[in-house]
Amino acid sequence: MSDVLLGEILSLLMFATACVVLLFGFPVAFSLAGTAVLFAGLGMAFDIFQFSLFGALASRYFGIMVNEVLVAVPLFVFMGVMLERSKVAEELLQTMGLMFGKLRGGLGLSVVFVGMLLAASTGIVGATVVTMGLLSLPAMLKTGYDPKLATGVICASGTLGQIIPPSIVLVLLGDILQGAYTQAQLAQGNFAPRPVSVVDLFAGAFLPGLCLVVLYMGWVVFLAATRPAAAPALRMDPDEMRSLAYRIIVVMVPPVLLIVAVLGSILGGIATPTESAAVGAVGAAILAATRGQLSLPVLRVVSRATLQISSMVFVILLGASVFSLVFRGLGGEALVHDVLSNMPGGTFGAVVVVMALMFVMGFFLDFIEIVFVVVPIVGPVLLMMDLDPVWLGVMIAINLQTSFLTPPFGFALFYLRGVAPPSVQTMDIYKGIIPFVVIQLLMLAILAAVPQLATWLPGFV
Amino acid sequence: MDGWFWAMLAVVQETVRHDAGQVLLALLVPIILGGAVWPAWLPGFVRRVDALNDWVGRMVAWVCVAMVLTTLTVVVMRYVFNFGRVYIQESYVWMHAIVFMVGAGYTLLHNGHVRVDVFYRPASPRYKAWVDLLGVLFLLIPVLLILAEVAMPYIWDSWERLEVSREAGGLPGLFLLKSVIMVFCLLVLLQGLSLAARSYLILCGHRPFLADAQAGEQG
Repeated sequence: MSDVLLGEILSLLMFATACVVLLFGFPVAFSLAGTAVLFAGLGMAFDIFQFSLFGALASRYFGIMVNEVLVAVPLFVFMGVMLERSKVAEELLQTMGLMFGKLRGGLGLSVVFVGMLLAASTGIVGATVVTMGLLSLPAMLKTGYDPKLATGVICASGTLGQIIPPSIVLVLLGDILQGAYTQAQLAQGNFAPRPVSVVDLFAGAFLPGLCLVVLYMGWVVFLAATRPAAAPALRMDPDEMRSLAYRIIVVMVPPVLLIVAVLGSILGGIATPTESAAVGAVGAAILAATRGQLSLPVLRVVSRATLQISSMVFVILLGASVFSLVFRGLGGEALVHDVLSNMPGGTFGAVVVVMALMFVMGFFLDFIEIVFVVVPIVGPVLLMMDLDPVWLGVMIAINLQTSFLTPPFGFALFYLRGVAPPSVQTMDIYKGIIPFVVIQLLMLAILAAVPQLATWLPGFV
Repeated sequence: MDGWFWAMLAVVQETVRHDAGQVLLALLVPIILGGAVWPAWLPGFVRRVDALNDWVGRMVAWVCVAMVLTTLTVVVMRYVFNFGRVYIQESYVWMHAIVFMVGAGYTLLHNGHVRVDVFYRPASPRYKAWVDLLGVLFLLIPVLLILAEVAMPYIWDSWERLEVSREAGGLPGLFLLKSVIMVFCLLVLLQGLSLAARSYLILCGHRPFLADAQAGEQG
């Protein structure tokens, strides 16, 4: 057997083994890297992997440590956790509910809206779905919402934050795509490629994200119009109504302004994502202070949560870099290149295959892991086929979000099941999400047909 | 006599520099075997390591606050006073590196490193203990040993040159930042050993840790 063939077999085996090892439940970062080290050992035994390849690891990882753009991740996490812990998010949802509550389907609409605003805090699928589930599911059920609609709209809106800027997964995806794009351009002989920045990806994801919001809201309105019993109006307390205007001004306006300012300054090209994130983090702390929620214990909780989340993210990045390093060393990248280049259907076929693979991986792995493991390997190959990197990034983001919603494996559904009262049947959750999965697939198809939806706005920033 | 001493020191130095992973492995094997054969000291070891990483994490968490404030300072200086200094800009990037590297052991202690928990979460304490014990021994430790092995020469070179930031007007002491990789290796390695020891004790039926694990399950 030739060394090349052996290496390719080993690299495929490594991928399969990693999937199995991950399912046991040991932390993802070490499962990925540990499996890779094991296979590197096998490769060395067969003389097809050089230990010296690991030598690049230290300088590469140090590059991550001093990457200025990535500082935006903990800053956005700090902002999100601060908004959550100081109950700003909770009050936002309640006030929004009161504001739209008089309308049929109003509670549903406010869940979608808050999901969109909370984009900054969502890096992990579970967090937002759990927060929104705890906050709004009881209220919706009490008002008499169809559990199917209530759970569906919560899961879908809870994952929406992933693709709407300034989500932290877009920061990470943008950074990885940048590397992949540069590599693809160099391979084609372009030694001065136009850089793809995190801001480009933010701008690219903005319109498709808004389209999803509109489609979700459209579905809620449609149901409220055709089946009024599924989405009844809130019965309002006259006292609450009188104070509503005041609450809107005090509770709703400041956080909305904050988020608009952060996003606006990034998309307007006034500030870098890191700078805006710092302003957002301090702004969130000031918001918390104005309602008397900023204390030493809150600050302690927020900074510890920020520490844990960013450590989790970057240790996975370490694990994934070990994984892709070994995968490359064994010759797996050449294999991926050959397979994708010879795909029937050309570029379209290659994109479909990669999307399908990511979709399936999304059943088991979170956004961050998939982005760190798959994009460095398939990204350069796909981008050499003259695909727009921003378009590809947005497609990946929507695709993964869809995967998290798809029964029976979707992550978001599990998390909501965990916090939903027993009166809600698991089947209700599965059935309720289907319209939203259809909306997601529709959006993917629209984006595939009209790439300008993603590529138009980045041209301006 | 003196010559002999310096020659030995040079050998040790070269070994640590080029084979840090193997040196660590040589230290780990007796610890792991010792723990397996004579587990009486393990509870104390677990408590000490946990206390160490907990303390480190609580301290480093405050660096997050410092990082937020420093970044804001840079923004205000740049946009309001039109004034910038490279070393201040570098300092928040360095703080970020310190946060996620030095805090990694703390994150492992508090189970913050995300798991695929489809099967893990609903499983029994014994299953979890098996996964954690074997995971530490065959996944976590090899990875960290390799990282230590390749990071050590990289860090050592930096110390020899007392490397400073490549940017004009940047921070001195880049070698210190690079050394953080080693701190990461050691802290996570220790926390990994603590997790393995804890799991081993649970499998042996050690009551306090078993009770901990069951309480964690309900909580």
